[in-house]
Amino acid sequence: MRFSAVFVLAFICAATGLTVAWLKVDRLSVPLDPTAEATVWDVEARVAFEGRGQPAKVTLTLPDTPPGFALLDEDFVSRSFGLAIRAADAGRPRQAVWTVRRASGAQALYYHMKVYPKREEVAPDPGPAPTFPEVPEYAEPLRSAIEAVLARTRAQSADINTFTGLLVADINKSDDENVKLIRKSATEETWAKMLTEVLAGARIPSRIVYGLPLEQDFVDTPLTAWLEVHDGERWHGFDPQTGRNGYPQNFLVWSYDDPRITASKGVRAVEVGFSANKTPMTQLSVANRVESKLDTGLMALSLNDLPVRTQNVYRVLLMVPLGAFVIVLMRGVIGVPTFGTFMPVLVALAFRETKLVAGIALFLIVVSAGLAIRVALTQLRLLLMPRLASVLVIVIGLMLGVSLLSAKLGIEQGLSIALFPMVILTMTIERMSIVWEERGPATAIKEFIGSLFVAVCGYFAMTEPRLVYLMSTFPELLLVVLAMCLCFGAYTGYRLSEILRFRDLAKR
Amino acid sequence: MLFFDTWLKLRNAGILGLNARNREYIMRHNPRHRYPLVDDKLTTKRLAIEAGIAVPQLYATFETEHDLQKLGERLAPYSEFVIKPAHGSGGSGVLVIDGRRKDLVVKPDGRGLTLDEVEFHVSNILSGIYSLGGVRDDAMVEYRVRVDPVFDPVSYQGVPDIRLLVYRGVPTMAMVRLPTRQSDGKANLHQGAVGVGIEIATGLTVHGVWQNRTITEHPDFGVSLSNIEIPNWPRLLELGARCYELTGLGYLGVDIVIDRTHGPLLLELNARPGLAIQIANRRGLRGRLEAIDRLEDIPATALARCELARELFRVH
Repeated sequence: MRFSAVFVLAFICAATGLTVAWLKVDRLSVPLDPTAEATVWDVEARVAFEGRGQPAKVTLTLPDTPPGFALLDEDFVSRSFGLAIRAADAGRPRQAVWTVRRASGAQALYYHMKVYPKREEVAPDPGPAPTFPEVPEYAEPLRSAIEAVLARTRAQSADINTFTGLLVADINKSDDENVKLIRKSATEETWAKMLTEVLAGARIPSRIVYGLPLEQDFVDTPLTAWLEVHDGERWHGFDPQTGRNGYPQNFLVWSYDDPRITASKGVRAVEVGFSANKTPMTQLSVANRVESKLDTGLMALSLNDLPVRTQNVYRVLLMVPLGAFVIVLMRGVIGVPTFGTFMPVLVALAFRETKLVAGIALFLIVVSAGLAIRVALTQLRLLLMPRLASVLVIVIGLMLGVSLLSAKLGIEQGLSIALFPMVILTMTIERMSIVWEERGPATAIKEFIGSLFVAVCGYFAMTEPRLVYLMSTFPELLLVVLAMCLCFGAYTGYRLSEILRFRDLAKR
Repeated sequence: MLFFDTWLKLRNAGILGLNARNREYIMRHNPRHRYPLVDDKLTTKRLAIEAGIAVPQLYATFETEHDLQKLGERLAPYSEFVIKPAHGSGGSGVLVIDGRRKDLVVKPDGRGLTLDEVEFHVSNILSGIYSLGGVRDDAMVEYRVRVDPVFDPVSYQGVPDIRLLVYRGVPTMAMVRLPTRQSDGKANLHQGAVGVGIEIATGLTVHGVWQNRTITEHPDFGVSLSNIEIPNWPRLLELGARCYELTGLGYLGVDIVIDRTHGPLLLELNARPGLAIQIANRRGLRGRLEAIDRLEDIPATALARCELARELFRVH
């Protein structure tokens, strides 16, 4: 009963911590790798027109929540125009409406957005499932041609997806007379539209999406039309030129169905061109921008809101649980003997500042010198508290001595000895000298080496840059560490050292 | 994997590990608030005397530095005595005196100490050197046990003591700890004493453990360690079983010495008894502990529990 309570609690902690972390990764694209670079696209729509010297109104359809992309930022260059943004409503997409009392001469308005492609493959907009279209009234002889092609394709295909793929490829390539007829009925602009009409002949719901494939930088390019077919569950994309299933890489969907993304009044020669170029950005700043746009509250548990000094303190503090967990493993599972319970974590923290090799050297110098002096003090038969205080004074004196000496010699690492927790050093010396006297030097040295070993392991756990990054970016992972500690609190298996200790009993 | 193989063998043999001991037995059966009863030997002694359990006679206690002024005077009536810290563990801080020579008191190895040196030792005890966590402590002076001659051939100076593991009042496993040259006359396994398993049913010794290895002969004398008959075994078992009522601790180590005139005497109790007893008996504890847990009820009297133990743990 007690057993399962621990694991239920541990599970809840771990699940909570991991879920929050996963949400951050998934929703906000917070990177797991601190050095991760993200590619952010600057996309620009340029609406050019010529004013006729009268009141003008220009409308541009804007993407709202383009699937697969996070909208980081957007802005408009409106010049003397008034700008209103109409939110999407009842089938009408989001729009920017520019108006001016008098527009004359050549003008250009800009819409500019920063988007971050979240996934390689575009997941199409889910939306409600469409109804099956009515079979259109084709004119003859187109009608017979379409019916013949549809019948032939139907015989060769298994389902809506293969049907569409075959049909589109067929219409694009085949030398069949019927197909030629169909091909001739459409121009380049109406090509996708024609495909949806043919598909309607087979009562397959389809639509056209207009968007920009963000692969390479481009300038002044029109939208690319892409075919989408609904198979009853979700939309599937098809290349209208080849029939290949899928979408172009990083396909930024601008609008559905309607090729006319601008409307205007009082101006002429309206032209829309799109440009895009990619800019690198650290993934973390992308995540912060996504959060400031979405405002999910997920980043509330993040160090960024604290003053920088406090942030740095917590960056260290958040690593201490990992050090403690290393001790849990070392003592409970491996059975390494140590002085005291948390002494190795504190020593490891000091190593963080002094760097490992210098830290170990300084630690050894102070402890062995302190131990020698402590042995000398034994001869004086001092009472406990005064003796501890004396050792403390001597430890601090030693630390100062080492610092001064290394300052003279120009060894910078020697100065960092001041960062060692002197009380811990004192207690280590005291414990070690008692163990030395009671159980002999072998045990004392064994425990000392054990402590040092655990401290070094703790140091590696606490300074691993990737772990430091994870803990400071995802403080909720503390719950995961807590869960692991809880689990090991319920561990009743052998320690590895016990396997050695009891090995004689396993012989029978 | 040799390691894993050993692991499985140990598990099948029912060897109890420290983690399992702590979590499944000590935490479950030893309520924390009862620890002070066993951590302070003076309290244990007082309780035992009230319950009529035999203990080595207490000669004097020292609680403050001030008391030390009367040290010489208070020790004057005794030429043999033992000074120990009330909160000591593992025999640390124990000073045995077995005679006087002029102004000196003499240790078993023949070294004489002045009263000043004894005073310094007591002062060290008071300041907490030997107590857990270094908190200040009391020093106690008590009767020096004269060991039953049965142990003479197998102990190097010092006082061998018998460790009885009492689980829920039932004596579960036993061993005798014999001082060696290496342990400097102390009956502490960590310091190099030999542990020899004792059959609960018969009181006969079986095998030994030394430095965590099983042995059959005493490392100093080379004599066989098995088939030594522990004198007064039934009385000793009962004494151990009664310590359950004394403390209410379900997983209890009872340390008993056998005096040649007074018979078994309770020396001290331990709320976290070690696991070396398994090596000395070449037997895992788990099977026995679980056998006791399977019992529907455990008899109320110590005597009945000893009967039960002899029945349950009969080795064929």
